[in-house]
Amino acid sequence: MHLLYSLRGVGWLVVYLLFILAPLFALLTGSHPPARNFWTEFSVALGYSGLAMMGLQFGLTARFRYVTEPWGEDVIYHFHRQISLMAVGLVVAHPVILIAVQPELLAPSNMLDAPLSAYFAFLSIFSVIALVVAALWRVALKIMYETWHLSHIALALTAVIAGVVHMVGSSFYLVDPWKRALWIGLTVFWIALLLYVRVVKPLFMLRRPYRVAEVRKERGDTTTLVMQPVGHPGFRFSPGQFGWLTLWGSPFGITGHPFSFSSSAAATDGRVEMTIRNLGDFTSRIPKVPVGQRVYLDGPYGAFTTGNPADMHVLIAGGIGVTPMMSMIRTLADQSDKRPVVLLYGVQDWESITFREALEALKARLDLTIVYVISRPPTGWRGEKGFIDAAMFKRHLPPPYADHEYFICGPNVMMDAIEKALGKMDVPMSKYHSERYSFV
Amino acid sequence: MRRLFADRLVLATGAIVILMSILFALSRIAG
Repeated sequence: MHLLYSLRGVGWLVVYLLFILAPLFALLTGSHPPARNFWTEFSVALGYSGLAMMGLQFGLTARFRYVTEPWGEDVIYHFHRQISLMAVGLVVAHPVILIAVQPELLAPSNMLDAPLSAYFAFLSIFSVIALVVAALWRVALKIMYETWHLSHIALALTAVIAGVVHMVGSSFYLVDPWKRALWIGLTVFWIALLLYVRVVKPLFMLRRPYRVAEVRKERGDTTTLVMQPVGHPGFRFSPGQFGWLTLWGSPFGITGHPFSFSSSAAATDGRVEMTIRNLGDFTSRIPKVPVGQRVYLDGPYGAFTTGNPADMHVLIAGGIGVTPMMSMIRTLADQSDKRPVVLLYGVQDWESITFREALEALKARLDLTIVYVISRPPTGWRGEKGFIDAAMFKRHLPPPYADHEYFICGPNVMMDAIEKALGKMDVPMSKYHSERYSFV
Repeated sequence: MRRLFADRLVLATGAIVILMSILFALSRIAG
């Protein structure tokens, strides 16, 4: 299974590169004007391939389960973010090199006489720069997630369409009608990927609504929404996976938020639960959701799920990162699973331990050991204090450490520290799985 | 670690695209 996933991952990477490079090298066939100097031709190639990379960004976020499965959704989004910087770098390098080679392009007379296609190039570059600035500094700029998401899509569309209009308008390489058709067709394909996630998927979700059956208050300023499918059987998920929740408005809005399922995957009535902590944004409205509210779910997604039944499962959760672990524990209990499970659960204080009572009750149904690691422990606390570290693994886990499977979910700082600690303990990468809940 | 792997993939993709762009330019000026 692991090998199959790896092969699929490599396969998609090859397809990704082909979609960038094949349209570029197609320009070398057929008729084209005489070559200019190396730097001009190089800058043009960077512009074409950078634009193709930007167009493919719509594919990376189109939530194709078959594509994202081998990597995990959080890794795909990380790749989406990082590769966008690369694509923007290539696109911006195109005019920078051109101007370096021909500084006269900046002369006022040339600027005023510039063809219309040059203005589209300017619009495209302005859009990609605005897009990157907003994406990198959204929190610092205090832009609301929903506003940012809408502007992100609008800027991306503007950048890609203006870029292609510039290419076709410049008409240097796209003299042959079939080459024009190829690049316009590619643009239509990229936009179709966006339409798939923004129109086709919501249409599907509209026909498969859910209703909130219960709103349950949990410890730690956290609320569980219990959702029941209406007029359809729901979907099956693997414990640890997540879905996109649209709570208010129609599924066509830009209002989906990703949350892990916290309920057992063994439930047969299609019911799913999501447990959401109040983090002061959209999540502050969760406790006020009325029972009976119609909601929409898109899922399941993610590759973060239980592993080899022969291995001890070490679940390492920080704060609300416990939700996918809870789904795993509940599912294993429902399946009367025999594998040993250790939950290392980092929390702020004893009173705000989400699922504390439910976890204690599950100990009776599973070979489950829970280690609470409290950063602000109560007086007289004799358990683990501070933050989860390698020394705690050695105190609570039997060697050899490389034989266990590790599942990590929590704040980025905690996850980085734990992944590093596991590396030092010679735990191979194939033995640990991470879920970063702040991936969007 | 998986993110580190993704970072390496990004760098590898960028390197391949830049190399291919150089190849494109060279093949153009070579006629």
